[in-house]
Amino acid sequence: MTIPWIIKYRPRRVEEVVGNEDSKKKFIEWIESWIKGKPTYKAALLYGPAGTGKTSLVEATARTYGYDLVELNASDQRSEAIIKRIVGIAACQGTLTGAITKRIILLDEVDGMSEEDRGGLKAILEVLEKSHQPIVLTANDAWDPKLASLRSVCLMIEFKRLKQWEVVKKLRDICLREGIEADKEVLEFIAKRSEGDLRSAINDLQTVAQGRKKITIDDVKWLPYRNRTEPIFDVLSMIFNAKTISTARRALSLIDMDPDMIFEWIYENAPSQLTDPRDLAIAMENLARADMVRSRVKLFQRWDLLAFATEMMSGGVAVAREATKPKWTPFHFPERIKFLSSIREEREIMESIASKIASRCLTSKRTIISDVIPYILFILRNNPDYGIKLLKSYELTNPEVEFLKRKAEVTAVEAPRKRSRSTRS
Amino acid sequence: MSLSREFELWVEKYRPKTLDEMVNQREIVERLKRFVETKTMPHCLFAGPPGTGKTTAAHCLAHDLFGEGYRENFLELNASDERGIDVIRTTVKNFARSATLTDVPFKILVLDEADNLTADAQQALRRTMEKYTDTCRFILSCNYSNRIIEPIQSRTAIFRFTPLSFEDTYVYLRRICDAEGVELTEDGAQAIYEVAEGDLRKAVNTLQAVASLGKPITADGVYDVVGWVHPKEVAEMMDYALKGEFSKSRSLLRILLYQRGYAGSDIVKRMHSRIFDLDISEKQKIELINYLGEVDFRIAQGADEEVQISAFLARLVLAGRGSS
Repeated sequence: MTIPWIIKYRPRRVEEVVGNEDSKKKFIEWIESWIKGKPTYKAALLYGPAGTGKTSLVEATARTYGYDLVELNASDQRSEAIIKRIVGIAACQGTLTGAITKRIILLDEVDGMSEEDRGGLKAILEVLEKSHQPIVLTANDAWDPKLASLRSVCLMIEFKRLKQWEVVKKLRDICLREGIEADKEVLEFIAKRSEGDLRSAINDLQTVAQGRKKITIDDVKWLPYRNRTEPIFDVLSMIFNAKTISTARRALSLIDMDPDMIFEWIYENAPSQLTDPRDLAIAMENLARADMVRSRVKLFQRWDLLAFATEMMSGGVAVAREATKPKWTPFHFPERIKFLSSIREEREIMESIASKIASRCLTSKRTIISDVIPYILFILRNNPDYGIKLLKSYELTNPEVEFLKRKAEVTAVEAPRKRSRSTRS
Repeated sequence: MSLSREFELWVEKYRPKTLDEMVNQREIVERLKRFVETKTMPHCLFAGPPGTGKTTAAHCLAHDLFGEGYRENFLELNASDERGIDVIRTTVKNFARSATLTDVPFKILVLDEADNLTADAQQALRRTMEKYTDTCRFILSCNYSNRIIEPIQSRTAIFRFTPLSFEDTYVYLRRICDAEGVELTEDGAQAIYEVAEGDLRKAVNTLQAVASLGKPITADGVYDVVGWVHPKEVAEMMDYALKGEFSKSRSLLRILLYQRGYAGSDIVKRMHSRIFDLDISEKQKIELINYLGEVDFRIAQGADEEVQISAFLARLVLAGRGSS
C-alpha cells in the first residue's frame, strides 16, 4: 500500500541525482561517447559505498537519454550460461530487428559474485569485448582481487559518501512534498546518522515520519545505527567483560554516541549478559545509582558529576560479574525505546484526552492520566451511561470515548483483597 | 455551554471557590485571607503532597481578591505541561505587561509543579519574577520544596500544605454526598480516608467511582474500586521476578508505566503493600522494604522510574532464589 520513499523519490533525471558531481560528469561524458558512436570504453565500473547514487545515476541516465535498461541484480543467478545468454543478447542484438533499440546493460554489485560465479566473471569479460551497447558494473569494493581483470578494461568511476548537506537537502525536499514539518536539526541528525548513505537516510525518514505532520528531535534521537559496523556491540562486549573499571570506562570513549543512549544499551542488555541473580542485582543497583547521578547532573546542571555517572554505568556493571560464566550472548536494541514508539499513537490519544480534563480540573495532564483516568475507567465499566455522559461533558470526541471504553474492557483487575491488616508504613 | 453540571467530575464540581469554603489548611487559609484584606501579597511558594489544596488555594485567593471575573487577572501554567522556560517567559511577559482594571495593583501567576523545572530554568524564572515584580505576583507550587533553588525560596513566602486529616476529609465527603443524595457509611468514609492518605483528589475520585455503582458508600465498595484502580500487573510483575524471570518482569513494568500511565511512586506503594504477602523470610522482607524506601526516595528526587524500580526487581529475583 505505501510505496517505499526510496522508490517514490528515485531521481528521474540526471540532474536530480544527489551529489558526486565529478563522477556524474565522467559517466555522462562516457555515455555521450557511445551516442556519438565512438565509445571510449566498453564498460564502466561505478564503485563506492551503498546509497551513494550509483544505480540511481544509471537509471536516470537511461531515462534521460532514451535507453532501455537491462538489469541483472546481485540476487539473480549469474552462472556463465545465463550471463552469456541475457547479456549477450542484450548487448549484441542491437541491429537485428531493424529498429535500433538503445540499451544499457547494468550488472549490479559484481563484487558480490561468489567463487562459484567465477565462470560468470569470465563471461562478463567475453561479452564486454563484443558488446555494441554500454555495460555498467557496480561494486562497493572495486579493489577486490577477483575484479582485477575487470578493472583493466573498465572506465573506473568512484562514488564517495554524500555530504551531510546534500542528504539534508534531499530529505527536506521529501518533507516538503509529503507535507511534513521538520526542523533543520532533525534532518541533520538523520543525515549524520546515515553516514552519507542517502538510501538509509530516506528509509529512516520514512520510518519516523510516515503519516505524521511534524517530527521533532525526540522522534529521531533513538534511530538505531545501521548494521554497517555496529560499534556499540564492541563497546558493550568490552564493558560486560572488562576486568577493571578503567577498561570499562575507556570503552565508552570508543563510540560517538549520546551517553544516555549508551546507558539504555547497557541497561537493556544487563539481564541477558549477567545471568547470575547476584551479579544482576549488583549491576542493576550500580546502574540505578548512575541514573541518580545523571538526574542530578540535569536538575542542578552539575556537569562535574557526570564522570561519576559514566563510571558507575560502565565500571559498576563490569565489577558486578563474579558468578556469571563468560558465554557469548547476542546484544539487542533497547526494548524500552521500541516499546515507547510502538505505543506512541495510544499515548497521543491519552494526552489529548488528559489535556481536555486537566484544564478544568486545574492540574497537569500527567496527574490526570495517573490519578483520574483509572477512576473514570472504573465508572465506564460499571456504569457506562453515566461514564459516557461524564466524558461528553468534557467535550471528548467519539473516538476518544471509544478508546477509553476499550481500555476499560481490557484493563486487568486485581482480585479484590480485603485489608486484613494495615499496610501503611 | 457545556452539559449540565450533573455530569462533571466531582473534583471539579465541588472544588471550593472561595477561601471560606476551604475547610483544611486552616493556618494557611487565615494568612491568605489577610492578603485579601490588605490587597497586598508577596511571591509565594506552596509546597506539599498532591491533593492537599495548593492549586485550589491559589484560585480561591484570586477569586477573593479580584471577584468572579478573577481569571482576567490570573494565569495558571503547569511546568510539566509547558514546553520549556522560554514559553513560560513569553507567556509571563504578555500577561504581566498590561495593568489590572481592579483596585488590586497586581496580577497573579500560578506556576504549578515548579519543582519539575531544571535549576537553569528556575534561575531564568527567578529573573523573570524580579523583572515583573511590580505588576505580577507569582505563586509557585511544588511537591518537594527541596527541589526549588534557594534564591527562589528566599524570595517567596513558603506555605507548607499537609495531608488532610480524617475529620477534614470527612467534612468534604459529607458535603458532596449530601448534595448528590448519596448515602455515606462511617466505614465507607474510613476506608476512603485509608486509601487516599490525605489526598483529597484521590478521596473524591474514589467516592465518585463508588457512587457510580448506585449503592451506598461502603468499605467493600471502596475496596472494589481500589482493587480495580490498582493494576493487577503489579502482583504479576513481582511474581515473575521471584521466579527469576527478570526480563518478563521488566516488560510488565513498562506496560504499567508507559501504557497504563501509572506513576512510579504508585507502583512502589503497591509493591510495598504486597511485600508482606510474599513467601520469603522476614529478614528478606525487611531488606526489600529498606531497598524499596530508597527507590521511592530516588524517584522523588527525579531519577528514572523504570531504572530504579528495575533495580528493585533484580533484588526480588535474588530474594526469590534464596527462598527456593
